[in-house]
Amino acid sequence: MTEVTRDTLMAYLDGQLDGDAMAAVDTWLAANPDAAIELAQMQRQGEAINTLFGPVATEPVPPRLNPHRLALAQSRRRWQGVARAAMLVGVLGIGIAAGWLLRPAADSPALHNRLIADAVSAHTVFVAENRHAVEVGSAETDHLTSWLSNRLGTGLAMPDLATAGFSFLGGRLLPAPAIPGGRAAQLMYEDSAGERVTLYITPRTGVDGPSLELVRLGDDNALYWANATITCTIVGPQSAETLQALADSVFAQLTPSLATGSEYRPI
Amino acid sequence: MVDFLDELEACVPALRRYARALTRNIDHADDLVQDCLERAISRRGLFRPSGPLRPWLFTILVNLHRNARRAEQRRGTHLDADSLPDLGMPAPQHSHLALAELSRAIDGLPLEQKETLLLVTLEGMAYAEAASILDIPLGTLMSRLGRARANLRLSTGDTQEPHLRSVK
Repeated sequence: MTEVTRDTLMAYLDGQLDGDAMAAVDTWLAANPDAAIELAQMQRQGEAINTLFGPVATEPVPPRLNPHRLALAQSRRRWQGVARAAMLVGVLGIGIAAGWLLRPAADSPALHNRLIADAVSAHTVFVAENRHAVEVGSAETDHLTSWLSNRLGTGLAMPDLATAGFSFLGGRLLPAPAIPGGRAAQLMYEDSAGERVTLYITPRTGVDGPSLELVRLGDDNALYWANATITCTIVGPQSAETLQALADSVFAQLTPSLATGSEYRPI
Repeated sequence: MVDFLDELEACVPALRRYARALTRNIDHADDLVQDCLERAISRRGLFRPSGPLRPWLFTILVNLHRNARRAEQRRGTHLDADSLPDLGMPAPQHSHLALAELSRAIDGLPLEQKETLLLVTLEGMAYAEAASILDIPLGTLMSRLGRARANLRLSTGDTQEPHLRSVK
């Protein structure tokens, strides 16, 4: 009987030998009790590993790991990529048209339009996300409030739109490319049907232009308004009337002292 | 297309099991599996192998895990190696304590040994399949396997314990 190597012994243990080779190892083991003990230890290890982690395979699989669901989300995202590209072309067109129309008015005539465009781009990018839709979730609303207020340099409460049927998902800090060195807060809400709406809020500093504007871009409506302290663009696929109602509620909650002022007029 | 997704779905429990054993963390493991599935779905047209999906999926998973580990090391963050894993229900012949010790010992193995050992013992892969998943020669696989087992025996002090007998 020839010597059995450790590799052969392992192959025996792991069931990788054919019948003849197995029988040969069996014979050899009977004559080598030390090796048999070592083999039993390795076998015990393997069983313990299976005891530890084997049950994972029988746990119910969470829905997020369902390939059918993932494939659907992916094709949705791909389609939205096309829509986004088309929309950016549209936004560019609006920017150019607005710049042309308002050309003699001011140094940066289309600033509010660029804010709207930025708001729509940010909306399109982040509503498509599932796991990373927001940077800070609604569970940390207090933190979100103080953080975004600090970064924007203006007091910013998180509006509650529950009565309008929208739950708060959370928010994130974004650059506001339209304003040099500018920052914006994006807050995201979702209704029971999963339709999302975002608020894109910047400080009013340096922003001229109208105090109210409604733009339709692709499948989304964008409602922009500004008061003495902030600008806010509401973006979502909802009707202009729905956005208007949301805007009333948002406005009242963000700047309660100005809610009855003259700057903001419902359409 | 539907066949592909069904086949993918059938592999999910094994991918979860392997990822859980690699990371010992249910959230990290499931994140890893989700990334793996998303990658597989987005690459199905170009890179999908003609044979069974399982080895291809495990290759993706192993690579994602290595990348995540590298990124983690670059960031300097360190996962708490002593955090107890979800042990499941231990079989009567293994004490809970011994299993926790083994789990920690597996965690302490060099990554390449851990990957190899788990593919063979936990996933029951043939040596050739495991070697092709890890993209290493068969001889390298065998030596990693041998070292992993020897290291586990050392760190769990298994050498004094009696021969395993069936309790049934």
